[in-house]
Amino acid sequence: MSNHADAAIQLGGVNKSFAGKPAVVDLDLRIDRGSLIGLIGPNGAGKTTTIRMIMSIIFPDSGTVEVLGRASAVESKDRIGYLPEERGVYKKMKVGTFLEYIARLKGVPEHEVRRRAGAWLERVALPNVWKKKCEELSKGMQQKVQFIASVIHEPDLIILDEPFSGLDPVNARLLRTLVDEQHDRGATIIFSTHQMSQAEALCDRVVMIHEGRKVLDDTPRSIRQRFDPRAILIDPVRIDESTAHLAAIPGVSGVARFGSGVIKVHLADGVDATAMIGRLAAAMPANRVEVERPTLEDVFIQIVSGSEANEEERARLLHAASSRDGGGD
Amino acid sequence: MRRVLVISWREFVATVATKGFILGLVLPPIIMGAAITLMPMLMNKQLPKVSGHIAVIDRSGAVHGKLEERYSPGAIAKRREQRAEQMKRAASKVGVSESMMKQSPGGVNLPGAAPAPSLSVRKLPTEADVEEAKQELLKATGKEQDVDQERRLALLVIPPGAVTPTALEGEKPGYEKYDIFVAPRLDIEVQEDIRDQANAAIVDARLESAGLDVARVRSLMARPEAEKKAVTREGERKSSEVAQFLVPGAFMFLLWVSVFSAGQYLLTSTIEEKSSRVMEVILSAVSPLELMTGKIIGKGAVGLLILVLYGGVGMAALAAFALSHLIAWQSLVYFVFFFVIAYFTIAAMMAAIGAAVSEVQEAQSLMAPIMVVLVIPMILWMPILRNPNAQFAQVLSFVPLINPFVMVLRLCGSEPVPAWQPPLAVLVGLLTVVVMVWGAAKIFRIGVLMYGKPPNLKTLLAWVRMA
Repeated sequence: MSNHADAAIQLGGVNKSFAGKPAVVDLDLRIDRGSLIGLIGPNGAGKTTTIRMIMSIIFPDSGTVEVLGRASAVESKDRIGYLPEERGVYKKMKVGTFLEYIARLKGVPEHEVRRRAGAWLERVALPNVWKKKCEELSKGMQQKVQFIASVIHEPDLIILDEPFSGLDPVNARLLRTLVDEQHDRGATIIFSTHQMSQAEALCDRVVMIHEGRKVLDDTPRSIRQRFDPRAILIDPVRIDESTAHLAAIPGVSGVARFGSGVIKVHLADGVDATAMIGRLAAAMPANRVEVERPTLEDVFIQIVSGSEANEEERARLLHAASSRDGGGD
Repeated sequence: MRRVLVISWREFVATVATKGFILGLVLPPIIMGAAITLMPMLMNKQLPKVSGHIAVIDRSGAVHGKLEERYSPGAIAKRREQRAEQMKRAASKVGVSESMMKQSPGGVNLPGAAPAPSLSVRKLPTEADVEEAKQELLKATGKEQDVDQERRLALLVIPPGAVTPTALEGEKPGYEKYDIFVAPRLDIEVQEDIRDQANAAIVDARLESAGLDVARVRSLMARPEAEKKAVTREGERKSSEVAQFLVPGAFMFLLWVSVFSAGQYLLTSTIEEKSSRVMEVILSAVSPLELMTGKIIGKGAVGLLILVLYGGVGMAALAAFALSHLIAWQSLVYFVFFFVIAYFTIAAMMAAIGAAVSEVQEAQSLMAPIMVVLVIPMILWMPILRNPNAQFAQVLSFVPLINPFVMVLRLCGSEPVPAWQPPLAVLVGLLTVVVMVWGAAKIFRIGVLMYGKPPNLKTLLAWVRMA
């Protein structure tokens, strides 16, 4: 941890407030070179503020920021690619000219500028937009152009603020592939998102910010283990069957039933979940019996809504999350 | 620096390579230049030689002879000479010399340049039928050029009452009207000439019938002429009061327009970058200061283009009219200095305002105070020109923001400005630029990423004071 040379980004005790309202509080963050980090957190948590401080667009009130071994991102702007949350294009500018302009600003060698811009447009399946005005593109297309603008100079560090927002599933998948490619190339990537499934699928590590503070900083796997809800979900064959006898089974600490009919059985501490599946399945005929796996979204909601949150509400959200997972993968 | 230049180039191209810019700024001088050079050529070349006769039904009996005298070939030539002389005098009043008129491209429309009309007067019997005589006018439109003098161009019907006053019922004695009938599509100058000559012939007839010496009365009535010269240190020279006021005014206006349109372009392009949210994309590649510098330089090049384009046309026009002496070359050097100063001062403010607001409309309230200050030289250009060394003009020369405009006016004005003042005005201007750009850089850096409620002047000043 002490080896600064390997850190792409190193924040130490960073504070930032706007008009007296704290936006980021005592943030320590170290991002190793070559890693792919997801920055998650609810709206207004301080993600964009953190990113802007990393980019030296705004400056912290206190604390230190180190980017690519330098005291400020300004000194290594050409090695950083940034897709801001507030992103746009010059409406009247032609797409090709726009990309060439950005490439030149980022120090791409003049003889490479045109070729790279053209190759990238091909890569994101926009081969015929070179001469189109930016305003003629759809929002999704514009977003792909903006993504190109952030990686056209092959930066060592790529920062993407909400890169998936506004993309349809096909383009979201394309973007995921492109991010993976950049990661494979060796670039350090940090992106913020609300879409936990994207973070879960992509990241080596997830950093969660809530109310300006870092509340999580771990790999998705260990986060899931840590937040294991210790519950088993049963989808009964007969919806109206009583659950009273389930509660009587040793090792069960509680039973809850969702509106959809799915029954959630909470396990007492120290009970082997795998062994319980057999017992529960025997006690109640079911279409599906499974150990509930917490998603990042569950963790996210659990942290954001706090432990005192309304159990009913949480259950509804958890169920929504689990049924989506079932249908998706 | 490389980034600044990349930005400047884009800013320049983004403004200049638009249809709106080309149509709005490049075409007018071209059209005006073309009009100035082509119009006289067209007017001179297309005038056909007019020939034909003027029929007179002279019931007074006294006018026909006079008219015939006035249309003798000798009299026509003499009149044309006189008119040419008059034109030259009028031209020299606005500073156009005779030699320049001949050298100027296309030539100025001197009356002598058009072919002289060949006109004769033909007397009709006093009892002739007017209707019948009129019919001849319609034939004049025919193409039979060979029958030259047979073409009837006009018909005058002069009643006795036009020469001898007659008392109408219950009124004071007065002169009766006479009639001129002209052929359709007769050249307007010929029409005017016929009317003027007929009037003069009738007056001559009246004078004669009153027993006066016509030639003597005419010579007594000749308009007195003055030769006006301005006395300067370099010696006397012909004064031209119109040019003296227009030229400095035009130069100040040119400075104002070029500086202000460039500033306006800068404002809208900054606001556009904010409202289209492209700002942060650009800021990921360059620092706010680089962006602002690049934008100011790029739009400054646009202003310079406007200045050179219009100024060039203006100087060419002055040269064409031999008026170059009105602008000393030292003034032109200062002119460039003051353009740079005025532009950077205003550009800094525009960049700051553009960065602080999110919509064009929001900029209006912040622009208002600046506009109020900037119209001062526009309002005061007359008084300043009439007295370039008046106390208020001297004071205004050192007031930041407007001093470039006032100084340009005074430098082009009639009285020489004390030698120490222009350099001092430049110094004041440069200091203003430094302060403005410094403040604008601070506002720009904070403002570019601020959205929402537009700040007021107080907030902007608070931003300047922030680190």
